[in-house]
Amino acid sequence: MDLFPLWNSLRIAAISSVIIFFLGILLAYYISKLPRVAKGLLDVLLTLPLVLPPTVCGYFLVLAFGNKSPVGQFFYNIGFPFFMSWRGAILCSVVVAFPLMYRTVRGAFESFDEDLGNAGRTLGLSNTYIFWRIRMPFCKNGIIAGLVLAFARALGEYGATSMFVGYIQGKTATISTAVYNYWTIGANDKALMWVFINIAISIVVLMAVNLFEGKKGGTKRVH
Amino acid sequence: MKHNVRTLFLAACCAPLLGGCGKDEAKTEINVFAAASMTETLNQIKAKYEEANKNIQVNLNLDSSGTLKTQIENGADCDLFISAAPKQMNGLQDLNLVNTESRVNLLENKVALATSQNNPKNVLSFDDMASRLAGEEGFILGMGNSDVPVGQYTQKILQYYSLNESELAAAGKISYGNNVKAVTTAVANEGVACGVIYQTDAFSANLHVVATATAAMCGQVIYPAALMANAKQAEEAGKFFEYLKGEEAMVIFESVGFSRIA
Repeated sequence: MDLFPLWNSLRIAAISSVIIFFLGILLAYYISKLPRVAKGLLDVLLTLPLVLPPTVCGYFLVLAFGNKSPVGQFFYNIGFPFFMSWRGAILCSVVVAFPLMYRTVRGAFESFDEDLGNAGRTLGLSNTYIFWRIRMPFCKNGIIAGLVLAFARALGEYGATSMFVGYIQGKTATISTAVYNYWTIGANDKALMWVFINIAISIVVLMAVNLFEGKKGGTKRVH
Repeated sequence: MKHNVRTLFLAACCAPLLGGCGKDEAKTEINVFAAASMTETLNQIKAKYEEANKNIQVNLNLDSSGTLKTQIENGADCDLFISAAPKQMNGLQDLNLVNTESRVNLLENKVALATSQNNPKNVLSFDDMASRLAGEEGFILGMGNSDVPVGQYTQKILQYYSLNESELAAAGKISYGNNVKAVTTAVANEGVACGVIYQTDAFSANLHVVATATAAMCGQVIYPAALMANAKQAEEAGKFFEYLKGEEAMVIFESVGFSRIA
């Protein structure tokens, strides 16, 4: 049996999560410091993929990164295409799952008691130190919750992915596109097998959340 | 201890990520875009072909023909395209994306009248279906709606029998599906007396094929195939194409309900 969709889904979700982790923290941090209007606008822009149908995201991605677009053509010519490639699926997952990380982390950052940072400053600590050693540990639960949600969403991404990278066996096939493809051709046993694999992974992910949350009972901050 | 559990857990999660490394990339890869209805057969053929040609890797992109056409239009790397209808191939040909000399009608799929294996209403033929649709109470036909290609073929069959589709629908004698899969499901679960679907769908869902429609009833369902004009691996893809037309591949195609072009 071909397990490629499993490994492909996992690598796409894992790489997307790493990108989302840094991007989410970075943007959440800087945007939470912006004036209200700018903050509101950027908020809308960055959260949009969460409420838009993934097909709309997929459409935009094809327009922007399809091999006929200038950007897409550039990447195609240097031998690093996104369109119809598993790398493109990372792009889809990042766009679609990013808002989950961003919103959750921003909520956590906003509930951070700035007095703690200021206290650190009076002790002569650098901003970098305060960020990584005071702010991040304080907001740890929110960040982990956001990351897990983003990972789970990335793993389940279907709409944008199917439009942007299609279903090429052994190349771009993911668990979710495999389920759909097997269903359309009536290969119900295979579709069902992938459904169960998907459920199993989801259960593992949720168990992971509980495991992390269990450590600090009662102090989690999920927004 | 709790830390150990967590580390172990993470390790277990990461392990599959490492498994996919170390694939050999030295093979010549040919990209074949084909209608999803060919998934099963093309995978069998691919396995045989790769077995006999160790230096070749066939990448299959299996989706609806319209989706594949859009992907090719947007510049996806495709060497060989097999469409479930001439429409998409013609569209690409208009855009000069097709190597027209290589184009052939590869296969034919039949429009079939299908029931569940039990055939509870004992449907005998298209003629039988037509007369009972007109007369018998509670005799329901499953068909794709007018957006679905198989629905359009079914409309032609109804016209062939001079049946008024909208009257039948108003009388509750037609159950519409949004795609061929929906019709297949309705037939398999005996929600309808019979349904009109492709023979390949009936085969893969293990349904009983009562009859197949003639060209006079609804025309032919042709699967055209052609190399693409800008194929990167035109030569190797051409060899694979020849193999698809050959006896060995045809036997596999026929085993799931496709027919050779007469």
